Amino acid sequence: MEVITTQEIAILVCAAIGVISAVRVIAERNTMKKLPFLNVLSFAIAGSLALLLPDPLTILAAAAYFVGTTLESNAIASSYAGGPKNDE
Amino acid sequence: MPGDVVSILIAAIISWILFVSIDLIFGLPKTGGVSGAREIAGEIEREGGSLHGGYMMGNIVCSPDASAGTLLAACGVYIAGIPGGLAAAVLVYVGNRICYDRGYAGTTGALAATFLIYGFTTIGFSAAHFIAGMVIAILTIQGISHTHASRLLSRLWGWRS
Repeated sequence: MEVITTQEIAILVCAAIGVISAVRVIAERNTMKKLPFLNVLSFAIAGSLALLLPDPLTILAAAAYFVGTTLESNAIASSYAGGPKNDE
Repeated sequence: MPGDVVSILIAAIISWILFVSIDLIFGLPKTGGVSGAREIAGEIEREGGSLHGGYMMGNIVCSPDASAGTLLAACGVYIAGIPGGLAAAVLVYVGNRICYDRGYAGTTGALAATFLIYGFTTIGFSAAHFIAGMVIAILTIQGISHTHASRLLSRLWGWRS
């Protein structure tokens, strides 16, 4: 019987949570309530990236991906709230 | 393999306590940092959740906070040890500024997580356990029930303030 390594178990956990949150993003009708599920999806993808590609540049790639999705969520939520003019 | 599953669950609990306590210390549930975070909090409150917990969830969505810092630090430590974690902290700091966030919750979370996770790697844990653990921890806050998660965070915020 093949032994599953620590890395593979961690990837399985991240992938399973990623798929669950992707389904919930699609199933949720309210755009504002989609964003927290999208946040979980970004965590799962950033974690999977580091586990699948253990290379120094992956830290940069995972951070760039994560900050990028956060900025997009921020932009979507802020435009629903009326844009940056409502920020003090 | 059963050892790995238990280690991931322990890592999830440690990461949860770490990022929630740093976010509470930096006052994320006090108010939304940007208008989008306040909008998300308002939506969670309309669905029966609690406003201050909603602010914290909105802030987590809108800018890299201590949870993102913990995840990226775990990735950094997994790939390159302590220097990797410190590089992740710098990237989180840059990410905060890109996202119009003046706070230091993300950077502090990344630095604290780097040394914590490195410490745990010396007693038999792997940083991979903490990557999976952090994904489980964020799932419990943002991905199961927004109503219940926001009430729990509001209760913790009530104790702190």
